[in-house]
Amino acid sequence: MSEQVSDTQPETPLLELNDIGKYYGNIIALRDVTTEVNAGEVTCVLGDNGAGKSTFIKILAGVHQHDEGTFKLEGDEMRFESPREALDRGIAAVYQDLAMVPLMSVWRNFFLGSEPKKGVWPVQWIDTKSAKRIAKEEMAKMGIDIRDTEQPVGTLSGGERQSVAIARAVYFGAKVLILDEPTSALGVKQSGVVLRYIVEAAKRGLGVIFITHNPAHAYPVGDRFLILNRGQSMGNFAKDEIDQGELTQLMAGGAELKELQEELSRAISGV
Amino acid sequence: MTDSVDQAQAHDGIVIEVDAADAEAIAAETKATAVAGADERLAYQGVFQRLLIRPEVGAIIGAMAIWAFFWAVANTFGVATGFGSILDAAAPLGIMAIAVSLLMIGGEFDLSAGAATGTFGIITILLVKDVGEIGGAGLSLHIAIPLSLIVALGMGYANGTVVERTGLPSFIVTLATFFVYRGFKLGFSKLIIDNIAVGRIDDAAGTPNLSPGDEGFRANGGYGFWRPIFDGVWARNEHLLESRDAIWLVGWVVGGALVGLAIYEMNFRRAKKQNPAGALVMLGGIVGAAATIWYMHNFDGRTENMIASLAILGSALAGFGGLALWRYERQPMGNTPFTNETLTWTGAGLALIAAGILVAGALDMEAQQSVLALVDALRWPIVLVAGALAAYLGFRAVGAFENQQDALRSVVTIAAIGAAAAFFTYGFMFMTTEQGLRAMLLGGFVIAGLVTLAMAAFKAGRVSPLARFLVLTATSLMGLWLAWFIQGQSRSVKFRTEAFSVILFAACMVFVWGAVSLFFKTRAEPDHAASRLSSVTAKTGLGIIGVGMVTRLLFTTEAEQALGRTNPVNFRMSVMWFIAISVFATWLLGSTKFGSWIFAVGGNKQAARQIGVPAARTKTQLFMIVAVAAWLVGLLLAFRLNTLQSGTGNGLEFEYIIAAVVGGTALTGGYGSTFGAAIGAIIMAMSVQGIPASRWNSDWRFVFLGGILLVAVIANNFIRSKAEATR
Repeated sequence: MSEQVSDTQPETPLLELNDIGKYYGNIIALRDVTTEVNAGEVTCVLGDNGAGKSTFIKILAGVHQHDEGTFKLEGDEMRFESPREALDRGIAAVYQDLAMVPLMSVWRNFFLGSEPKKGVWPVQWIDTKSAKRIAKEEMAKMGIDIRDTEQPVGTLSGGERQSVAIARAVYFGAKVLILDEPTSALGVKQSGVVLRYIVEAAKRGLGVIFITHNPAHAYPVGDRFLILNRGQSMGNFAKDEIDQGELTQLMAGGAELKELQEELSRAISGV
Repeated sequence: MTDSVDQAQAHDGIVIEVDAADAEAIAAETKATAVAGADERLAYQGVFQRLLIRPEVGAIIGAMAIWAFFWAVANTFGVATGFGSILDAAAPLGIMAIAVSLLMIGGEFDLSAGAATGTFGIITILLVKDVGEIGGAGLSLHIAIPLSLIVALGMGYANGTVVERTGLPSFIVTLATFFVYRGFKLGFSKLIIDNIAVGRIDDAAGTPNLSPGDEGFRANGGYGFWRPIFDGVWARNEHLLESRDAIWLVGWVVGGALVGLAIYEMNFRRAKKQNPAGALVMLGGIVGAAATIWYMHNFDGRTENMIASLAILGSALAGFGGLALWRYERQPMGNTPFTNETLTWTGAGLALIAAGILVAGALDMEAQQSVLALVDALRWPIVLVAGALAAYLGFRAVGAFENQQDALRSVVTIAAIGAAAAFFTYGFMFMTTEQGLRAMLLGGFVIAGLVTLAMAAFKAGRVSPLARFLVLTATSLMGLWLAWFIQGQSRSVKFRTEAFSVILFAACMVFVWGAVSLFFKTRAEPDHAASRLSSVTAKTGLGIIGVGMVTRLLFTTEAEQALGRTNPVNFRMSVMWFIAISVFATWLLGSTKFGSWIFAVGGNKQAARQIGVPAARTKTQLFMIVAVAAWLVGLLLAFRLNTLQSGTGNGLEFEYIIAAVVGGTALTGGYGSTFGAAIGAIIMAMSVQGIPASRWNSDWRFVFLGGILLVAVIANNFIRSKAEATR
């Protein structure tokens, strides 16, 4: 699949990041991160806890702003002031907590914040019928059949909830879909289900950023891999430049390498 | 798209033929199983479980139970006058409870809601008053009413903004507002009119006897315009409608039949091919029912009633049986009548009902003496046994003592439980008459027996349709015995007639249900078309019943007037406001974007904000809604009473919260129903009316309310845990 897509790759990547850095006061949260996301491809961001993955997605999603480097969306340089702005430009983030209200029905969650309306102001109501239908259809397109869109999201399994969140982002016109550790809380089987949705979303022409700390999940679906460790990029590879063993090794050996680098950088800057 | 689905499924080793053009038609079962795995699917819920999942269902059942309770114990309860005054008492409480439940679903509380009602009423009166040199604006109501509305909106906005900006719990913020309101009411009243009774709003009517230029003249300030809006009266006695009882009866029959249809449609599996002969049988049943009603209307007597009962049973069998024959799928009845388990449950249920009837038959129905006198010398042994039993149960619950410290704590706990049980047993025997004990034993045993039999029927249904049929038949026979026992052994006319008919009817329906489900297949998979149809049918049916009941309450007939059997029932505008606001709020919560946002900010504020819901604005608007409701209730009270005390409304905020909670609203937010809150208010009003009507001291109302609150919270928690059960 990746070969096919890379053949027809557009000249400008959907998302292009060059030497992105972020500081919280004197703490360097992220430094020199470079990668790109193409339409129809999955870019995996790998790293252990505290590697800067969260900061990275928060910059992409408009929650934080980068302090260094350039962030280009479809060739235009960007600097989002709010998540809404990022959403309007087509960057949707599906966070670990999924942004769902467990006691609300599937269709209400699906359309939350952007409900289809009927009637004339001030007498307006939700177009319940089409909302339910669309929610069901969109879920079906992701390959999952929700039995009853009236059922509370809390009664869905973890994998199904992920699929609602992904389908929602896709339906509301996301060009770039950021998935924050979607498989971390799931069992083997459900993880497989979610990985399938990721491939599904990429096939529909989205650029997917898949954040994970599990190389075994990342390698089968990814087209490009960005490895982070303690706020620094450990490398940015296309799939044909690296195999799963190397990826795992890089992640595992990263910790030692990192310490060495830090000592070096301290020595160089002469502090 | 479909191709990729195929691919995905093929990956799993489960290959399913999918027609590319027909992706929509993929059967829900196969596909979801293939994609998500069978273990992720929920068990299909039966018809009654699905009904129980709604937040307001508990409140509706509770309202019916409490209504039945007071109807049974109080002579003046349940007649039209009684119902009118229940609604009258429920209206201000209900309007506030609806607003408060919206706020609670949104995850916040407003402790100033009670005091706010009095505040906005008093502000309006003070604006209208003209008291010479010290103050009182002497404004027209046309200005005073919008002005107080603006104040209310401002106060709601202030509450919401402070809560949102500071991030403090709304409990604290609105507690502060409560004291501000309280102080304002007293302070301004004393400052302006030097009186804590603030009156009168009819000053705004002006001085019609004086002409302009006279000493003390005041122009009309719109009193005549506003009074009908806030305190208009619909007097039942003045409105004749000869067809009233016909509308009432037809409403019950047609509405009830539609509700029955909905329940059958929801429960049974539709046949692939319909059988038109069944429709004919059903038609026969409908005609039979109509003829029976006509017969009952024209003939009365013991024999005639027996004939009518049999005719009703026959029509119901033909009607529902015909319906089933027409639409539903047949099934083999199975030949396993019983297992040991179902036999035990059935036996226990039947024994409980029989015990209730026999014990009640043994006790004297006229005796007014205290139970204490009845048990005489046995009173102390009974108290001791009750205490010891409770202490033993407490011991079982607390468990064995591991060490000395534990032992001491356990002993103290167990002793306290035992002492409390002994005390309550004595108190109960002291307060209850033999007659009362009889009613309680009968009611308690019968309810316990019915619950046991329902469990037995549920368990038998898993064994075979035949077993379920036998359990239900035994249940309906028990119902017949109970009905005749009540008819023969009751002092009160309404038991001998109304309760008798209702039990008889219910027994018939149970039998019919058992018979139909013996031959026809219960649905065990979702069927959206059937669910939608039954939902529409049930709502229509309930609406028709509602129209019938309201008609009966609103109108009188010439015959009734001639007999002098009229009740001065007045429906005030407050009731109309209550009904209108219930309907509006239910629509707002269920069908609008704002309603979705209320659930969202209460259920998971963080998530709502991330997805683009203006959470802070939604919550502030909810505080404003509560303030506007308080303004409306303040005006209703002001026009009704003319003079408001400066303490008006203080302390009622907890009653609003209780009503909302009884109606199924979760204290934690994100779950609830405004309709439930309205029912909760009616439950509370019923206790206000029913307790004095039962000739108890009305102070017991608070004990009653406490009990209702506790039971409601436990029941609602149970329902909610079912609703949000994960995986």
